[in-house]
Parts: sequence; C-alpha cells; structure tokens
Amino acid sequence: MTYAYLFKYIIIGDTGVGKSCLLLQFTDKRFQPVHDLTIGVEFGARMVNIDGKQIKLQIWDTAGQESFRSITRSYYRGAAGALLVYDITRRETFNHLTSWLEDARQHSSSNMVIMLIGNKSDLESRRDVKREEGEAFAREHGLIFMETSAKTACNVEEAFINTAKEIYRKIQQGLFDVHNEANGIKIGPQQCISSSVGPSTSQRNSGDVESNSGCC
Amino acid sequence: MSKIRGLPPEVREPGPGVELGVEDGLLCKLIHSPEFNLFSDSVVFESNFLQVTKLGNWMDVREASTIVILGVTSSVPSLPLPNVLLMANVTWPQGPFSTWRRPGCAPVITLRRILPLKYVELKIYDRLQRILRVRTVTEKTYYLKLHEKHPEAVFQFWIRLVKILQKGLSITTKDPRIQFSHCLVPKISSNSTETTPANSLPSSSQPSENRMLLAAEQTSGSLFDFSGKSQLTADRNTDTAIEIYDSNSYNKTPSPVASPVNLTIPMRATLSHSLWEQENPDECFLQAPAASSLGENLLGP
Repeated sequence: MTYAYLFKYIIIGDTGVGKSCLLLQFTDKRFQPVHDLTIGVEFGARMVNIDGKQIKLQIWDTAGQESFRSITRSYYRGAAGALLVYDITRRETFNHLTSWLEDARQHSSSNMVIMLIGNKSDLESRRDVKREEGEAFAREHGLIFMETSAKTACNVEEAFINTAKEIYRKIQQGLFDVHNEANGIKIGPQQCISSSVGPSTSQRNSGDVESNSGCC
Repeated sequence: MSKIRGLPPEVREPGPGVELGVEDGLLCKLIHSPEFNLFSDSVVFESNFLQVTKLGNWMDVREASTIVILGVTSSVPSLPLPNVLLMANVTWPQGPFSTWRRPGCAPVITLRRILPLKYVELKIYDRLQRILRVRTVTEKTYYLKLHEKHPEAVFQFWIRLVKILQKGLSITTKDPRIQFSHCLVPKISSNSTETTPANSLPSSSQPSENRMLLAAEQTSGSLFDFSGKSQLTADRNTDTAIEIYDSNSYNKTPSPVASPVNLTIPMRATLSHSLWEQENPDECFLQAPAASSLGENLLGP
C-alpha cells in the first residue's frame, strides 16, 4: 500500500483512561472492555485520506501507569501528533494533564500537534469533568479538543483524523520539515510496501475518512 | 574513486546467522526500515514461531499462515545484553516460507509490540516441542512454538539467550559495588528456578544438546554479540532451568491457557529503571564498560 506521508502518533495519558481502546476502535472498529495493562509500546496503523492524499498513521500506544512513565518518555521523540487522553469520569486523570503535557512538550518537536481527548463520553451519568473544563484546558494550552467514546466509537475517527488534518495543514504551511525525521513525518515509498520488506502495512485502510458523526 | 588505497574492499558476505534465518530477517529489516528506523545500529536476533495453547495437545491458536516473529535487540549497541523484545505478526499469502521473493507473494509483517526485556520473562517451556513461554510482569502468559522449518540450532540459540538473560555473561558485572541499575539479570530465588518438565526431556539430551550448541556456536559465534564486540563465554552446561520474562500476545488477548503466575523477578525490582530509559547513548556507553570491569570500582568515589 503506497502512501504520501507517514505520521507518527503517540497516545498518552493516565492508566485506564482508554488509550488502547481508542486505538483498537480506530484500527479494528471494535471495543474490548477488559482492561489489559499496556507495557512498552503497542503499535497500530491505518491509512487515512486527507485532501486526496493517502496518509499512513503509525500509532504508538504507550503505558500510562506511573511505573512505566520514564520509559514512555523515550517514545515521544519523532512524533508528529499526540493524543492526550483523560477519563471524563475520573477527575484525577484530568488533573494530571499538565504533567503529561510537560512531558510531551519537553520530549517532542515543538510543532507536534496535540489532541486533547476526554474519553468515555458514553458514561455521562458518571461524568466528573465538564466538557467546558476540557475545552478551557485545550484553549489555554493550544490543543485541539474532543470528547470521545471508545466504546460507542463516538468521535474516535474524528479525533485521529482531525489530528492528521492539522499536521497536514502545518506541512502545507511549511511549519513541518518533512525531511526532518524528528518531526515524525516520513514521505512514503513510491513502490508497493509489501514487495520490499512488507513493512507494517497492518490493519485497515479507511478509504475516505470524512468526519461524519458528531455524536458526542 | 573514493576508496582508500591499502584497505580491502568491504566484504558483505551473509553471516551464518543470516543463513539460519535469525539475523537480518524480516523483523530486523522492518524496524531498521525508514518507516520505524529503530535500533538501527543494533543486531536483531529473531525467529518465527506459532502461538500455541495447551488443551490436551498443543494446538495452533492462530492460522498457520500467520507467524509470530519474536526478536531481541538492544536499544543501544554498546549494551552488553539485549534489553528490548520485539513482537511482530507476519502473514505469508502463499504459506510460510513460500517463495516470497516472487511479486505478490511478499510476506506482510506488522510490528505489534516493543517491550523492555526487564518486564518480560522468557522460559524454555518444552524443549522437545521447542516451545517458549513468554510472560509479562502484567501476568499474561503466552506459548510460542518455534517454527518447524527452523533447524534445531536455532532453538539452541534461544535456550542460550534465555540463560544469558537469566544469568548474565562473564562480562556482566557481579560486583555488588557497581550500581548496575537495570534488571536484565534478575536475582533467582530458591523457588524461582523452573525446570522443563522431566518427561519432556530426552534422557540423553545433555550431551547431544551440548554438541548442538557447540556446533551452533561454531557456525554463528556472533549471533548474540549485540554490541558487535563482546564474545559469549557462557558456560555450555546448559541446564534445564531456563527462564525469562516476557510476554505477549496478539491483540492483547491472553492465551486461554494462561496459568497462575508466580513471578520470579520481583515486580518492584523490575519496575525500577533501566538503561532502556536512557536517551543519551553516551550514558549507556559509560555504563557498559563499568559493567565489564570486574572488581574495579570505577564508579566509586
């Protein structure tokens, strides 16, 4: 599968906020309620189409547990986008955003696009963080903001794709040097990937990925 | 001509590890490819496995055309031991090891996980059936059977690797004064040494195994030389107690035969910190010699 660009994403946030579930919903369109603790990095990938360009998202799902935090920091390098996730039903995960953001700013490119995600929007009755609070935090720190539900898939596509759109916009504006790998962007090969080494074509191709739900 | 007179031209003959399919394989090419560009200066030791479970008999739990590639490497080449476990899936459209050089038959490889080895236990679970057990500190256990097309020497390398990870090399420090903080060489408690079930071992396994290992070493002495410098000097009297830590499965689905886990590496110890966390290779470079300097208090006051 050829692609014009490859964007590296990293998903960060406290343990149990749904990072792995967001990835699974985005790549496989399914939800796994059992929480398996992530250690190291779990990878996912998917093709999306932005402005007629095929873009491969290489997604690094990281461990959120504090014990693994120092290791997680080593994965920021070279990320073009980050999904910073908190759980709208757990105030403490929102309170820790500043710490995650500091890590992200410190260990990644200054141009990295960060999408703030308030996950578990399906659990409205247990909401502990108002949407307005998330919006305010995002506004204050220059982030994009969405509330999502990995369980219902609400806004999951949009979260990943809007991040890609913003990265692509920055490329077009010349803010990203696509030849600098530190920016987490790679120009795609011109030949069939699997015919060389078969590099990680993985998962699925979304085809057209226009936002369409707005369910949250 | 840019070549320097007097120097022989670079010889690029494939090493024995390449011939055995454990070096410069698909996984290595994938992580060294521009798409990942990871650990580009480190050797990757890798093999193909089938994920199996134990329900009376060993059964493949995935389609035969899907193979698990398990590999180890070093985040920094100067480390004396590998500290990274890699797991990938590879699908062969025309069946395993088919003539994949033909267009349209190329294997499709997908990197699934990168795990610090300190969070993983590897164990030789069944020598006869060439089954590795992979268990994480999060207590997920998986069983991986070496692909039948690998020669026996390859499994002997895994046995050796397990032992090295457990007991270290002669070059790794045993000096308690040296604060070697990462946990690639775990302490072994009295009840932690698990042995391969006796009924799975041939009665005369030891001599033949040693011969096999010796032969394997002779054909591929550098397979575990991740730094490109050190030579393995581990004792060849490979006993049957071989463990490691690790783990993993695909889609994060635990093996249905996951058994109660009695971790032999103290969780707290494994959760300290390691060279893996160091982003500055120079730091690791400084520590590696320290680990090799037996009896010398290089890090002392």
